[in-house]
Amino acid sequence: MWALECRRLGKRFGERWVFRGLELSLQMGTVLLVRGANGSGKSTLLRLMAGLLAPTEGTVVLRYQGTPVADRKRYLGWCAVDGALYRELTGYEHLRWWAQVRNLPAERDLLLTHLERFELGHRAHERVRAYSAGMRQRLRLALATYGAPPLLLLDEPDAGLDSSGLRLLERTLHEQATYGIACFATNRAEFARWGNLALELGS
Amino acid sequence: MRQGIVASLLMGVATVVGIGFAALGQTLSAGLQAGLFWTALLFGLFPALARGFIVEEETGTADLLRIGARPASIFWGKWLFHATLYALLSVVLVPLYALLVAPPRGHALGWLLLWLGGGFCLTSILTLCGALVAQTTVRGALLAGLTFPLLLPLILILIAGTRQALEGALPAEPLQGIFGYALALSAGGAWVFEKVWQE
Repeated sequence: MWALECRRLGKRFGERWVFRGLELSLQMGTVLLVRGANGSGKSTLLRLMAGLLAPTEGTVVLRYQGTPVADRKRYLGWCAVDGALYRELTGYEHLRWWAQVRNLPAERDLLLTHLERFELGHRAHERVRAYSAGMRQRLRLALATYGAPPLLLLDEPDAGLDSSGLRLLERTLHEQATYGIACFATNRAEFARWGNLALELGS
Repeated sequence: MRQGIVASLLMGVATVVGIGFAALGQTLSAGLQAGLFWTALLFGLFPALARGFIVEEETGTADLLRIGARPASIFWGKWLFHATLYALLSVVLVPLYALLVAPPRGHALGWLLLWLGGGFCLTSILTLCGALVAQTTVRGALLAGLTFPLLLPLILILIAGTRQALEGALPAEPLQGIFGYALALSAGGAWVFEKVWQE
């Protein structure tokens, strides 16, 4: 049973507090929708949850069976719209590299099946530089979900996706809720129904 | 990264050719030969080593690394790349230096140990400093400022050792200093890197 807790969480850049005193407790099965105007701190919150930023005050703790997990980066999937990929690698090489660095199964068939799930199978052996923006986003999602991490953090995951990509994203979030926690930030009102909990920042 | 390797090779070759041209027809003292040898290698190393982490930050792939891999794996992975570059540069620059400036002579084992120990320390220092400055906005100036106090004692010891090796002696004391420095860097480098790498 996984849980994510934010206690009195705050982040300041220079003199400006992005947010302060945030309390959040997410249990397994939660799909948290993070909304807010530009600059309200959606991406900052997800980066704090991921451990990519250190909080100015407060804590973020990922728990398994009530026990805090020491290095939560090992247990999360991350997909951000500005997240770069290695342009000289193919989609398949990307996923294989990712599987290897995270000590996940890296058999060819498994990797190709996972890419197929994101409709990238037919372009798996092309370099990422030849991918469209939507395909890159699909690859980011494929990387984030490989190995079924218990915590999935998605920052504007809908960016660049076509209708079939959006269906994939919706399915991904629903699947995540069956074994873990998902948090996604978006400003598009039509995707609000994908979450079962909403957080409005800057309000 | 490929551009960095090419820039390194060009910089190194240009330095050795420049030194060779300046030293044409002259007999260089052992101390001067040693100083010029390490200056040429250092000049060649700098362009690519400084870019190792900066490229990851500039292209945004650093987050992928932070999420995916342990800091120690990243540090030693980058170190390995830099060490390979050091070896590649040596393969190109040492024969060129021998041809244009002065052939390496003296104590062969001393040379080899200095090359190994010096390479380990140089790549460790530049890997660590590259990671530090990659997260700042004033990268060029900071890299020079950070590496200077770490590199200067090492370069002075390497030059002293190389001079002894050129004169035919095993540079025992400089080697002790270099391997002590290497030990400190291998023990502390990955630890410091982990602290720097988090945010």
